[in-house]
Amino acid sequence: MSGEILRLRDVSISRGEVPIVHDVSLDVVPGAVTLILGANGAGKTTLMDGIAGLVRNTSGTIHLDGVAIERFPTYRRAQAGLGYVEQSRTVFRTLTVEQNLLVSQAGKGDLDMVYRLFPELEKRRNLQAGHLSGGEQQMVVLGRALISDPKVVLIDEMSLGLAPVIVSRLMKAVGDLVGLGIAVLLIEQFAHLALEVGTNAYVLRKGRVIFSGPCEELRGADQRLHELYFGAAPATAADTAAPVARPVAQPVAAGTPAVPSDGPEPEGGTR
Amino acid sequence: MLNSVIAGLTSGGVYALLGLCVVLTYRLVAVVNFSMAAVGSMGAFVMVTLTDTGLNAWLALVVGAVAGAVLAALLGAVLVRWFGEHDERTKAAVTVGVYVALMAVGLRLFGNTTSGARRFPAPFDAPAFTVGSVVVPQSVLVSLAFAVLITVGVGLLLSRTRVGLRLQALSERPSTAQVVGIPAPRLAVAVWAAIGAISTLVIVLVAPRLGGDFSTLGKLINTALAVAMLGAFRSLPLTLAGGVVLGLLEGLSASLEAIQQYRGIVPFLVILVLLWWRSRGEIWDTAHSR
Ligand SMILES: Nc1ncnc2c1ncn2[C@@H]1O[C@H](COP(=O)(O)OP(=O)(O)OP(=O)(O)O)[C@@H](O)[C@H]1O
Ligand SMILES: [Mg+2]
Repeated sequence: MSGEILRLRDVSISRGEVPIVHDVSLDVVPGAVTLILGANGAGKTTLMDGIAGLVRNTSGTIHLDGVAIERFPTYRRAQAGLGYVEQSRTVFRTLTVEQNLLVSQAGKGDLDMVYRLFPELEKRRNLQAGHLSGGEQQMVVLGRALISDPKVVLIDEMSLGLAPVIVSRLMKAVGDLVGLGIAVLLIEQFAHLALEVGTNAYVLRKGRVIFSGPCEELRGADQRLHELYFGAAPATAADTAAPVARPVAQPVAAGTPAVPSDGPEPEGGTR
Repeated sequence: MLNSVIAGLTSGGVYALLGLCVVLTYRLVAVVNFSMAAVGSMGAFVMVTLTDTGLNAWLALVVGAVAGAVLAALLGAVLVRWFGEHDERTKAAVTVGVYVALMAVGLRLFGNTTSGARRFPAPFDAPAFTVGSVVVPQSVLVSLAFAVLITVGVGLLLSRTRVGLRLQALSERPSTAQVVGIPAPRLAVAVWAAIGAISTLVIVLVAPRLGGDFSTLGKLINTALAVAMLGAFRSLPLTLAGGVVLGLLEGLSASLEAIQQYRGIVPFLVILVLLWWRSRGEIWDTAHSR
């Protein structure tokens, strides 16, 4: 794939001494949404934390717009153009909405840009972010990423615990980011929803990429997805990654449309 | 009576200043800094060593403050570089180690309680005004004004400036602050440097009253931590008020015959009562959640 803005090659990531993500290579292109799918505990968040520099990359290279950032501390990766919407709603609770945005402001980013995207935030600009509803807090976090004038935005489970109308509102905003030419790397528990907006997808299992390809291949292919999420991994991968695996007790989330509820298929879906 | 109120105010302003330095460090870089007074004393003794050689006092003060800033920045850099991932207890332990080391070095360089008293310049000894028959020295006003200036100034800095907002963000969510591009290590070292300089000024201000030997000054950290506790290690105005009230109580108890001999214990009792009150979770609930 050419024209990628974020490029990972053979990236491995550990938490403490525990290796979690193994030899991941992926490309993220501007003006599109790239998906990371996978069951709970597959290592999706760890992969994003590794890209953002919050946990250690033990090997491999990460290029952002041609610059090798894998040795940068977190804040320099951010300054190099990496935005990150973390898994739990990480507003600065004691700062107001506007202050949350101002601390992140960089480059060409400005408040108007954010308020145009989320008019409801402008009305609450002087309210402490801790007092906002969950959906509004997530808007602040998205706005904070946008105002930092990013080239790539990583988004981890933006929809966690939010009502469907809010989720589609936020998804629309993600579409607007993409419209601005920003590259988005998205983790989303609702696979159906994500596949609607995504262009390319990577499926992680036990910290390894076991599928990469266009989203069309997975759209509506529930059986296939289920196999990718839970099915028997290729023997080698399954053994070496064993300590990483969190036992997967239930499908991705209650009512997740992508995954049927029958048992795992003993067949690998690697491509 | 009035005399002891004035005396109490003098101590109170000093207590407030010491407490503010500790609270500031804790709020901004999340370290309980046991070495604060020792670092300030180092800066102060650099200054007094220079004035002893005949340098202009103000110039020496600037050099001393810079020395205090550099020393604190070094400590801050070590904490950021090697203890960034460790919890507050470990960082506090590191500052205890630094405190012990600085006290040893200080005693060696500058002498002990009996041999090491230096003549610190006391430019604010002149009377500011008299109330009735009681003379109020300028130093009372200066230390109180300095304490208010720090409280108000830091409050404004934190809420009104971009760098202040970034410091708040950093103290609330250190890793997310970095995620949004805030250069945490650089900011933290800058905060340490500023606190080193301020500590030096505070120690220089109190040195003439306390005899001016290194050991006494370095050990002021005890008082400082106690006052910081009154502000729950969080609130600057509470720390300011706590320091002043503590000073006043000490002054008053000195004037009452019956409890005069026990006046050293009064601040301790006050702190004990306040801690007990706080454990019942009243106003400190919000102040203490960091
Ligand atoms: N600090 C840690 N030390 C060791 N292992 C950890 C640590 N944090 C997480 N893990 C493990 O790493 C694995 C991957 O976790 P991660 O949070 O990346 O998964 P995920 O794909 O984001 O899951 P979810 O969908 O539930 O968010 C899990 O098995 C988890 O138990
Ligand atoms: Mg996760």
